[in-house]
Amino acid sequence: MKLLRKQIDKIKPHFQKGGRFEMLHSTFDAFETFLFVPDKVTSKGAHIRDSIDMKRTMAVVVAAMVPTLLFGMWNVGHQHFIATGIDAGFWQEFMHGLIRVMPIVVVSYVSGLAVEFIFAQIRGHEVNEGFLVTGMLIPLIVPVDVPLWMVAVATVFAVIIGKEVFGGTGMNILNPALTARAFLFFAYPTYMSGDFVWISGLLKGEGIVDGFSGATPLANASLGNIEAIPSSMAMFIGTIPGSIGETSTVAILIGALILWFTGVGSVKIMASVFVGGLVMGGILNIFAVNPFMEIPAWEHLIMGGFAFGAVYMATDPVTATQTERGKYIYGFLVGFLAILIRVLNPAYPEGMMLAILFMNVFAPLIDHNVMQANIKRRLKRAAAGTNK
Amino acid sequence: MEGLVNIFVRSVFIDNMVFAYFLGMCSYLAVSKTVSTANGLGIAVIFVLGITVPVNYLIENYFLSAGAMAWLGPGFEAVDLSFLSFIMFIAVIASMVQLVEMTVEKFAPALYSSLGIFLPLIAVNCAILGGSLFMQEREYANIAEAASFGLGSGVGFYLAIVGIAAIREKIRYSNVPGPLRGLGITFIVTGLMGIAFMSFMGIKL
Repeated sequence: MKLLRKQIDKIKPHFQKGGRFEMLHSTFDAFETFLFVPDKVTSKGAHIRDSIDMKRTMAVVVAAMVPTLLFGMWNVGHQHFIATGIDAGFWQEFMHGLIRVMPIVVVSYVSGLAVEFIFAQIRGHEVNEGFLVTGMLIPLIVPVDVPLWMVAVATVFAVIIGKEVFGGTGMNILNPALTARAFLFFAYPTYMSGDFVWISGLLKGEGIVDGFSGATPLANASLGNIEAIPSSMAMFIGTIPGSIGETSTVAILIGALILWFTGVGSVKIMASVFVGGLVMGGILNIFAVNPFMEIPAWEHLIMGGFAFGAVYMATDPVTATQTERGKYIYGFLVGFLAILIRVLNPAYPEGMMLAILFMNVFAPLIDHNVMQANIKRRLKRAAAGTNK
Repeated sequence: MEGLVNIFVRSVFIDNMVFAYFLGMCSYLAVSKTVSTANGLGIAVIFVLGITVPVNYLIENYFLSAGAMAWLGPGFEAVDLSFLSFIMFIAVIASMVQLVEMTVEKFAPALYSSLGIFLPLIAVNCAILGGSLFMQEREYANIAEAASFGLGSGVGFYLAIVGIAAIREKIRYSNVPGPLRGLGITFIVTGLMGIAFMSFMGIKL
């Protein structure tokens, strides 16, 4: 550790003002603060002595995503060997998944961080840490067979249009990871939906067992194949086809607990998303006219990307509402709309992505109204106080 | 009744004037700097659309379209005045906007001055004329359906304009790259909002 510090201190002057590599100072700064907690302190005003800066906050979120990533890797292999009918051990399944998933993670990080560094150099600000989370989220919400160049294009699009044009981390309107997912979904629909994309090797048709269907539970549900939906236990544990990280509700709940106890993710949003989903599911149960609408409300919560979106995407502190009361409204509407789009819109098999994007757009409006209501209430209270 | 609700929901979310047809862009971009003025303009648009579409529906079906004047007597069955529809629609819209303008000036002078030229310009707002022309094209069965469509389109425009106004208030302090400041970033936000509104496209009512 000390050696590393020494090395960094040795080359540091080159990157500071007047140094040889002055133009690369933001790149240097990014690596330095990534390795060591910065020692800068403010000289006057309020002092918060805490090492939890943005980089560490983001690292917590990434840590919370590790269970879903590991489970996703195993599940990719598991599904692959079920589809091909080969009996494989745990490690064989995991290794297959690792080999399939790692390239997506690497491509997402490399292409996204490249854009981040370029923007930081040109605009002369520090490299934003927000991409640590986005780069991890993107691989988790795409199907495993997605071509790598698509991941790269979508990541670049999301980072530039979704984030950098607004001035970088903390300023964006839409969640960048979801922007990437929506871009892929609308630009290359054949690679993002259907029965063949969710399991590795199925697109190429590598020795598939006869009669095997790679359809996700939601696809089966929307077609009315209720008997083809896996048991609730399988959907809860996550041994089902789906995007890489979204299948296992158990792994997501572990992540949710990490976010909750560290205080990084808003538990208000998570809880109200689930409540909103339950309410909408219940309403659909009451007015059910087809088998999809008859699916029990609670089962919606463990299908598809609902839990994943609720825990990792809806809680994004930048694009969610900032006011405390707004969080309840925002979360509730996300869950409500997700189930509504999922069940009533035949064009999309899953509604979570678009529901969160939709509410991202209206989050500032909710905040505005909550604040105005608060101002009005306090004015009234003040007026009542002075009239006494 | 169910049909009316369907038309209303459809025109608010699925066939949203701004995000599905990109109509009414000029006032949408120009008056969306703050939520309060956007609010005022949005309400004015709801009002104008909600009145002009049913009124134009009556004019269309009792005067303008081919054979619509048959109720006047046997000599009028062959009369077809549909070439007059643009001018008639615009006349109705302009008089309606005049009414709204006088009302706003009388009862909300602060809003009147902040809306400025864009209040009278509602008269040439393409979303308003678009509403009447869509009404003509879609051949609604009765005046209640036309009114529900008009109100729904107005509410859709209202949602769009207050939504972007809130976003613009939020990104006012963002470090947006110089060339994109102002209208540029607003166009990008509009596109992103369009993606979000695509969530409703395809719902069959």
